[in-house]
Amino acid sequence: MTEETMMLAPPRPTPALPAPVLSVEKLRAYYQMRFFGVTREVRAVDGITLQIGRNEIYGIAGESSSGKSSLIKTIARAIRPPLNVVDGSVRFDFGEGPADIYKLDPHALAAIRWRHLSYIMQGSMNVLNPVRRIRHSFLDFAFRHMHLPMPVFLQRVEGHLARLNLEPRVLNAYPHELSGGMRQRVTIALATVCRPAFIIADEPTTALDVVVQKSVLTMIRGIQQEMGSSVLFVTHDMAVHANLTDRLGIMYAGRLVEEAPTRSLLRRPLHPYTRHLVASLPRIGDDAPKAGLNGTPPSLAKPPPGCRFHPRCPLAMDICRTEAPPMEELLPGHRVACHAVRQELAS
Amino acid sequence: MSLPLLELRGIGKSYGGGWLRHRTRAVHDVSFTLETGRPEVFAIIGESGSGKSTLARMILNATAPGEGQILFRGRDLATIRRAADRRAFMQAVQPVFQNPFEAFNPLKRVDRYLYATAHHFTGAQGRVAQEAKADEALHKVGLSLAEIRGRFPHELSGGQLQRVAIARALIPGPALLVADEPVSMIDASLRMTVVNLFRRLRDELGVSIIYITHDLATAYYISDRIIIMQRGEVVEAGDARRVLMAPQHPYSILLRASVLSADPPEADAAEADAAEAGVPAQPWSPAGASLAARSGDVP
Ligand SMILES: Nc1ncnc2c1ncn2[C@@H]1O[C@H](COP(=O)(O)OP(=O)(O)OP(=O)(O)O)[C@@H](O)[C@H]1O
Ligand SMILES: Nc1ncnc2c1ncn2[C@@H]1O[C@H](COP(=O)(O)OP(=O)(O)OP(=O)(O)O)[C@@H](O)[C@H]1O
Ligand code: SF4
Ligand SMILES: [Mg+2]
Ligand SMILES: [Mg+2]
Repeated sequence: MTEETMMLAPPRPTPALPAPVLSVEKLRAYYQMRFFGVTREVRAVDGITLQIGRNEIYGIAGESSSGKSSLIKTIARAIRPPLNVVDGSVRFDFGEGPADIYKLDPHALAAIRWRHLSYIMQGSMNVLNPVRRIRHSFLDFAFRHMHLPMPVFLQRVEGHLARLNLEPRVLNAYPHELSGGMRQRVTIALATVCRPAFIIADEPTTALDVVVQKSVLTMIRGIQQEMGSSVLFVTHDMAVHANLTDRLGIMYAGRLVEEAPTRSLLRRPLHPYTRHLVASLPRIGDDAPKAGLNGTPPSLAKPPPGCRFHPRCPLAMDICRTEAPPMEELLPGHRVACHAVRQELAS
Repeated sequence: MSLPLLELRGIGKSYGGGWLRHRTRAVHDVSFTLETGRPEVFAIIGESGSGKSTLARMILNATAPGEGQILFRGRDLATIRRAADRRAFMQAVQPVFQNPFEAFNPLKRVDRYLYATAHHFTGAQGRVAQEAKADEALHKVGLSLAEIRGRFPHELSGGQLQRVAIARALIPGPALLVADEPVSMIDASLRMTVVNLFRRLRDELGVSIIYITHDLATAYYISDRIIIMQRGEVVEAGDARRVLMAPQHPYSILLRASVLSADPPEADAAEADAAEAGVPAQPWSPAGASLAARSGDVP
């Protein structure tokens, strides 16, 4: 049986980056907790630099609990204590010049949120108001901002739901009457019906069957192409990345360890963690045993010194135990943070 | 002949009124049997909204079927009422729910669930004994008590929370695990750790596992048998590998054809660039083999 790999529009080459929509610079955000005078810090986002271009779909994958959700929460300025920005900046440029989202006054922030930025949180299908029908959630969230007469608005909503394989009558449902995947699509619909310029989505397709998943991805790519939007898409599903994202960043222990155009990253991962991740993917028809990574994930409260992957890395050298490898562009458009890879490519 | 471990006979369930205005059949006429003494991973895959979680809730005796009968070791679940019977049943049949954010009370520290389960089902008295049980179970899923002690659900990542849920389910030493999308929130490498753990539970401890998932590749990897559901009905059933390699029903064929591949197709520009820069196409031997734990090993 042949696999239909490219049902969605093929990823385009990385757009030129002179004026990125999003520019994250040396960002650090820690969970800072005080117990009886003792401070405990979880360094969930620890020195991340990345840029996302207009019209680009940027994917993030990486180890569970490596800080992906913390990173994108911080980018969306959807954080609250104990998570605090410790250092660095997050700048958006929606055509009016770059603005640091943490320096905006509440009014300007609200304006950006409604006009340009939409954020689908991980597990957000559970934040639908349990005592309000889905219709009311749409009215609460989207109606005011779309400036449409009610019948046109409802028509737009129903058309949008249809793109996600949902019948119009789900509008009459209460959240608990819908299956997990149906609720997940309702939240995606809520976040995208206004066709925002920047969509941030954290694991938005985990509860979907692959048929429905494909329509969701097609819808997201559709909006992105119609609007020239940018998308920041977090998922563990590498097949989704292979078919949706233009570039892919891999996180490990609070840091970005590799970043490249998605296809080169999946074809030729360089960082030892990424290579393991790609090698562990099971495939239908492949009977070879696959295994998870040895050892335990690092603690972000007390991360290993030097390269955070060194206790589990088969290529670890002395320098790895003391010196954190910088994130460097070692091949065109391909950034990696690894001493061994740098030496190998230099020789 | 011993009694089957689990037997579903013509199970159906409808929800009345509500959002559809009329009754909907969430599950219709589902029958299958898991034998005692032949532990297996039994996968349920299918359409979103096709009744998989509803079926799981009925098997866990959390919802009564509208039609049909479910027998566990020959006993109709409808007759399990007394507290002692319910407890024995819950010890033998443990759930891992679809959504860990929902399954845990946001105001309760997650380690407390593990202590309570250890106390309730293994009779572990005192915090020290309970902590030992909890830590042992957490290690099976790549966590440790030190990492989660005293934490509230929102202080853990999605993957950590899901693994705590699996660890909790392992504490009573169940004969049947009903796992509703247990790996959907965790990374690919940990996914393999968890499904290899399921395999080991089956092979070494004789635990049967009902594995509900949208991930056809892991279903292929660990399942013995599979059923495919659409709109409340089983449209195809059989040997997992055969069904996934050569599906027969139109919906199964569609499902199989919709699986996205993680293998990028054609060579792309960056690769051409790399080749030009003198980098061989395969500069490294795949690290997987040396990096990975032996298959089936559990950290
Ligand atoms: N409120 C909090 N207080 C303290 N620590 C937290 C809090 N929320 C998250 N953490 C910790 O921060 C780290 C990063 O969590 P995060 O949710 O960002 O990971 P993730 O990469 O999104 O993981 P997953 O893939 O499992 O969703 C984890 O170790 C987690 O336990
Ligand atoms: N309490 C309820 N009231 C009314 N309808 C319900 C209720 N619970 C579930 N349903 C309906 O029953 C059907 C099956 O839902 P179920 O959650 O079992 O699906 P599922 O196969 O688990 O889907 P998913 O893959 O999205 O998790 C859906 O149409 C759902 O809307
Ligand atoms: S820097 Fe060293 S320890 Fe870290 S990934 Fe590279 S080789 Fe491994
Ligand atoms: Mg997350
Ligand atoms: Mg379900």
